[in-house]
Amino acid sequence: MKWLLLFIISFSAFGQTLSENLEKKKYYYSALNEFFMETYSKEIKVETVERLEKLLFFTGIELLEDYEHTLLEKYPTSSTRFILARRYFQKKEYKKALEYFGKVHLDHRYYPEALLLTAQVHGNLDQFKQEEENYSLCQKAAEKEEGKADGVKIKRYYRMIYEICLTNKARRLYKEGKYKESLVAYGQIPKQSYKWPYIILEQAWAHYQLGDFNRALGLLVTYKSPLLDTYFFPEAEYLTALAYFRLCLYEDSLIVINQYYQFYRPRFTQLEEVLRKNVNSQNYFYNLMFKTNDELKKSDGFVEHIVTRLKKQTRFSLDFNSIHKIDQEIIRIQKNEKKAAQDAFVGHLASVKENMINKINYNAKTDIFGFLESVPFFSSELFKVNLEVLSRQKDLVYSSRQLLNTRSRGDYSNVKRSRFEQFWKFEGEFWGDELGDYSLGLKSSCQTVRTEGAGE
Amino acid sequence: MKIFAFLVSFYIFGEASGQDQKVIYQYKKYEKFDLGNLEVKGQLIAPGDISVRERDRKRFELDLYSRKDFDTFIKKDIESLR
Repeated sequence: MKWLLLFIISFSAFGQTLSENLEKKKYYYSALNEFFMETYSKEIKVETVERLEKLLFFTGIELLEDYEHTLLEKYPTSSTRFILARRYFQKKEYKKALEYFGKVHLDHRYYPEALLLTAQVHGNLDQFKQEEENYSLCQKAAEKEEGKADGVKIKRYYRMIYEICLTNKARRLYKEGKYKESLVAYGQIPKQSYKWPYIILEQAWAHYQLGDFNRALGLLVTYKSPLLDTYFFPEAEYLTALAYFRLCLYEDSLIVINQYYQFYRPRFTQLEEVLRKNVNSQNYFYNLMFKTNDELKKSDGFVEHIVTRLKKQTRFSLDFNSIHKIDQEIIRIQKNEKKAAQDAFVGHLASVKENMINKINYNAKTDIFGFLESVPFFSSELFKVNLEVLSRQKDLVYSSRQLLNTRSRGDYSNVKRSRFEQFWKFEGEFWGDELGDYSLGLKSSCQTVRTEGAGE
Repeated sequence: MKIFAFLVSFYIFGEASGQDQKVIYQYKKYEKFDLGNLEVKGQLIAPGDISVRERDRKRFELDLYSRKDFDTFIKKDIESLR
């Protein structure tokens, strides 16, 4: 059968293997499968390794995620070592993971990502110095690869790696309690970045920890902008209520809590009911990703927002790109090859495509349910803030005291800022420029005075 | 010794036969108190000041969540890559 296929496929090029001929015709996905079948039981030479790298350059490594460990071990390429290292990392076998990440060549396209994960391994082992060093190396390597890359999507991938390494540095500083230093690191991420909407919340936490509740509230207000309406985090609502609570602005805190309970919570419950019905579906979440915005709006605005966020992930771009390329290969084989070749390759390609669809479906499902599972936690924390507010208000009544300052508009005198933070007065500027630079100027209301007429 | 054994067995027999007797307790069904006529012995004094000592209310503060790290975010970022 093989010789017949070879004959059909390579009528013009005898003396070459089937995988070589498939590669020549740019059927990379079919060639990859044949390549493994041809070379697995043979001695692996330098040329074999180079060919595999070349094929993987076109197909990506996503296909190899499910391949046997022993098979991948046989081919000492940077790509296969990278996959194996990731597996060790996921299994928390950190020593092995470090060994394999270290084998990824520094000129290889996965080198920046390998450095990012190496830093993460050191972080998990509490080796902070090595972690920071690897994040810095990762930034340099990602910038270098970004400069070399041609396509916009590849450039974006390396930019994403660069920004994750920078953000993780800031997160490490936050974990160590170095909040000011972490804010300096966060400040290096430009507003055009894909990560920027996410780090607003993290910056707000850092300001909160420094006791600058006004700046934390100002940052969280950014999420109310129409430009960021796809970014909704229950944690941001919680932090808003908490910051008002720390300023003893109890009424404001209660407004945030009530709004959350009245507006968001019922919608979460409704959304969860719809999604749970399809939890075992193999393609519901995949299909969700390809619905038009109008179709999504019919079900719930939240779904649209979550799906938009998921589509911006690098993982989705890579997987979807693979599906698109497999589809193209199937079409070309059906159009250009004889029936026997079609039967031999299209079936395999269809199963590879199905695997990719299952993967996207699973990832989308995990992300959506991960988001939904964060809701009960923050609902319960908001409830605790509510109880604390009521308790404090009751204390004031029992002790015949009242808050010194009544709630009023903020004042510039209450705004703290570092020399790197802009100070806009909203006079003549474009409103979009100020996103992420807001600060409220509310005065803390925590001082109390004895209520007039008390004790008479 | 025999006398002692005899006395013990006599006592046990007596106790056992006593348990068979039915004891009926009766409580007063109605009792009237004439509070006006009650006399309290001792010195009558009027309280000069509130005699209850003031004490602080016990406050139970809830442990409100404060983020310690962004480890879950780091994990998610890595997963979002591939």
